[in-house]
Amino acid sequence: MKVKILEWKSFATWHWDLATSADDSGYVEELCGICRVSFDGTCPNCKYPGDDCPIVLGSGCTHNFHLHCILKWLEQESSKGLCPMCRQIFTFKEPEQTSDVLINLKTLIDGHRVMRERFQQGNEQEFEAFGADQDLQMA
Amino acid sequence: MAALPKRIIKETERLVSDPVPGITAIPSEDNLRYFEVTIDGPNHSPYADGVFNLELYLPDDYPMCAPKVRFLTKIYHPNIDKLGRICLDVLKDNWSPALQIRTILLSIQALLGAPNPDDPLANDVADDWKKDEKRAIEIAKEWTLKYATKKD
Ligand SMILES: [Zn+2]
Ligand SMILES: [Zn+2]
Ligand SMILES: [Zn+2]
Repeated sequence: MKVKILEWKSFATWHWDLATSADDSGYVEELCGICRVSFDGTCPNCKYPGDDCPIVLGSGCTHNFHLHCILKWLEQESSKGLCPMCRQIFTFKEPEQTSDVLINLKTLIDGHRVMRERFQQGNEQEFEAFGADQDLQMA
Repeated sequence: MAALPKRIIKETERLVSDPVPGITAIPSEDNLRYFEVTIDGPNHSPYADGVFNLELYLPDDYPMCAPKVRFLTKIYHPNIDKLGRICLDVLKDNWSPALQIRTILLSIQALLGAPNPDDPLANDVADDWKKDEKRAIEIAKEWTLKYATKKD
């Protein structure tokens, strides 16, 4: 018997290779703590999982998030730059390899840091202005 | 209306399938970001005999910002004002996207069990509370009988 292959389809599955962070109960956190979507899926703003929507790790703590989710949170004034899970200052773990994707990622993270520093300065000024206003009203 | 984020769908499903004891939260049919909430007054508090109605709304940028929650039932409490607004840190400065509707509602229930007149919102109630706690607790009980739904 001769079999002739007319057409074939290939597919593959993949998983993020994550540093697992287990809490006291030994439960391994596989959901993004912000959007609660599994890390095999994208954040709510992206369509395709993978390189455009990477997972980032904190360097001070062991919490993982979609890059887009944690950036969006850190951009909020109310975040005060803290990790949503443990409320320590959230710092990004520097990517070790230097593929294009990771270089892009680093650019994003640096950009964010600059933005946040500017943002915080702005805040202090606003705060002072607000204090002055109050004095006026009380006088 | 924009599609409902997965997170809100998941939270709602869990609130319905695995409700918190003493708390109900039902999404409105025409706006899934709006919830009708009831909270049982905690035992051993002046609110113990009542069930309180609240409304909860998830703003567009939830979970980046906290849900908006307000008491609809009149309540005598140093951290809840005449309009039902609640003074609770996790609803304001200490919000984190790691919190959820259910953890927020539990915090509100805990606040009923532990009034904090030193961090007031309803100033006159907090003043009364500090001047004469026994009397304030009496009034809180009276208001519970008068305005809240009776517990079954
Ligand atoms: Zn996420
Ligand atoms: Zn994304
Ligand atoms: Zn953390």
